[in-house]
Amino acid sequence: MAINMPGVGPDAEGLSPAAAPAEDPAKAARGGGRTSPLKLYARRFARNKAALLGLVLFALLVFFSVFGRFLTHWNFTEADFTALTVSPGVSGHLLGTNAAGNDVYAQLVHGLGRSLVIAVTVSLLTTAIAGLFGTTAAYFGGKVERAMLGFVHFLLILPSFLIIALVGTHYRGEWQVLVVVLTLFGWMLTARVIWSLATSLREREYVMAARFMGVSPMRTIVRHLVPNIGSLLIVTFTLGVASTVQAETALSFIGFGVKQPDVSLGSMLADGQNTLSTAPWLFYLPAALVVLLTVAMALIGDGLRDALDPTSQSGGRA
Amino acid sequence: MLRYIARKAVGWFLMIVVATNLTYFLANAFLKPASNYTALRPPRTPAEINHSLALYNLNPDKPIIDRWWHWISGIVTHFDWGQSPTGGSVNDQVAYRIFVSGQLVLASTILAIVIGVGLGVYTASRQYKAADRVWQGLSVLSFNTPSAVASLAVVLVAIALNQSLGSTLLPVAGAQSPDVAGFWAVLGSRATHAILPTISLTFISYAGYHLLQRSLLLDNINSDYVRTARSKGLTRKQAIYRHGLRTSIIPVATQVAFAMPALFTGAVITETVFAWHGMGEYFTKTISTNDVHGVVAVAAFGALMTAIGAILADLVIVALDPRIRVS
Repeated sequence: MAINMPGVGPDAEGLSPAAAPAEDPAKAARGGGRTSPLKLYARRFARNKAALLGLVLFALLVFFSVFGRFLTHWNFTEADFTALTVSPGVSGHLLGTNAAGNDVYAQLVHGLGRSLVIAVTVSLLTTAIAGLFGTTAAYFGGKVERAMLGFVHFLLILPSFLIIALVGTHYRGEWQVLVVVLTLFGWMLTARVIWSLATSLREREYVMAARFMGVSPMRTIVRHLVPNIGSLLIVTFTLGVASTVQAETALSFIGFGVKQPDVSLGSMLADGQNTLSTAPWLFYLPAALVVLLTVAMALIGDGLRDALDPTSQSGGRA
Repeated sequence: MLRYIARKAVGWFLMIVVATNLTYFLANAFLKPASNYTALRPPRTPAEINHSLALYNLNPDKPIIDRWWHWISGIVTHFDWGQSPTGGSVNDQVAYRIFVSGQLVLASTILAIVIGVGLGVYTASRQYKAADRVWQGLSVLSFNTPSAVASLAVVLVAIALNQSLGSTLLPVAGAQSPDVAGFWAVLGSRATHAILPTISLTFISYAGYHLLQRSLLLDNINSDYVRTARSKGLTRKQAIYRHGLRTSIIPVATQVAFAMPALFTGAVITETVFAWHGMGEYFTKTISTNDVHGVVAVAAFGALMTAIGAILADLVIVALDPRIRVS
């Protein structure tokens, strides 16, 4: 309720809604200590226990991928020919080795990092492209809008997974190429959602005012339209990370994504596939990490959606 | 009604044509059919390789437009989708693979819709109760499980089950046993082989329908017309099913068409894991063997599945939504 009224602090919560607008916001701010929007969002987010769990999980996973390599002296490319497919804990390998003698722990740390870097970069880029494209189409309207939407629909019917696999395999599985193609074919649906929301912003007074003041279209879009769908963009980014991890895992699993000697969670799953009953740890360790990562991102996304949406009731009051 | 379907079908047909042709040019740009010959012993000269490839309309020295014209006229005149770089006919491959994949995708789509919508109604009418929360948690988990993990986990469970029973109750590889004969025996063998892949595809796709149906039904479970239906003497169950569900299932029907590409991607993984020789396996095989014509056929199949899904969704919407008149 109070989120729409800057300056009404937590101590003003007891006020009845009818009485609240009568208060002078400035006075309340001086007396009660103003809650900054960021603090408010954090408080609303923290009420959602599942989202908090997701955030903790995500932080742990990032921490593991950055500092995990200091726990072992093995490198992920190094092969230990004296210990092929040993189970966890045997002959100095924390989580065992695979059939080629690579240390699974070192591979997990590197693969998680690789999957994270790809997912976060792709999701950042797709969100940025989708946000700019959707708002630009909505701002101009008319012919420009129709042409831009037509382009999006055209890209949507293309067999994108197949094209990504084609390009990915052509460049022998370099992860930078993977980032580019996953971005190129990943932004369209989001752009369409953002466009449909931004069409209502186009008619708002502040956009009109900017237009009549002669502010350039690009400046209006970047300074007025994009910030007003900011919460949507943040949620899109988090959920985009989860879906990119899934796409990258699928690609690497069938051999068209990250390839030897590089390692990602998807390529580790492909390794584990052949020794499912003889060396199950090669499957369930990367599987557990990838599911933890996607579920954590989904929980954070849901929590953020509720925390940033002023009309949402699920975060409780304020 | 027929005119409406025909108009939709023509639109989708044009989209399939565009997607297929674009894939043809992309596949020619990124795949190198000559690499199928470079590993042969004795080594062949580039001229010899090009000569062999020219037999299958894949000669890289011939202009791409000429090759395209040869390819497209083959399809238009006698529906011949071309040959692989080593001479196998694409039509022969696709002809039997389509049924293998179609059976898998169709069965799991129907199962996923029935389970997803059913769960959506069940949990929406018990919002925030224990059953709702448990199912919600399970669906969030399965919605975010990559298909590779889901398929391999199903295999792991099946292996454990088979070992504890001491017999192969649920086979984990292949579409049917190689040594069975007779109609009923083959049918039974196919059915038992289909159980596990169908379970893993259904597991990754039902959650989308569940979560969507739940939130849509919650939006109008408390609306005036549902209350009116209750006050006319319908039970709560009748009111929800006949009035609440009817309006809220329409967006779910639209979702089915757009879920098709994701389902096909899932089928690629599932068929790889369960060693099924369907279109999904053909997808990985054609790309890794630089089979340009095969890749294009896979793209056309994927687009066709999306089109069929979209037209079926339209039909369901017309049947459900009284505001839409098509005749």
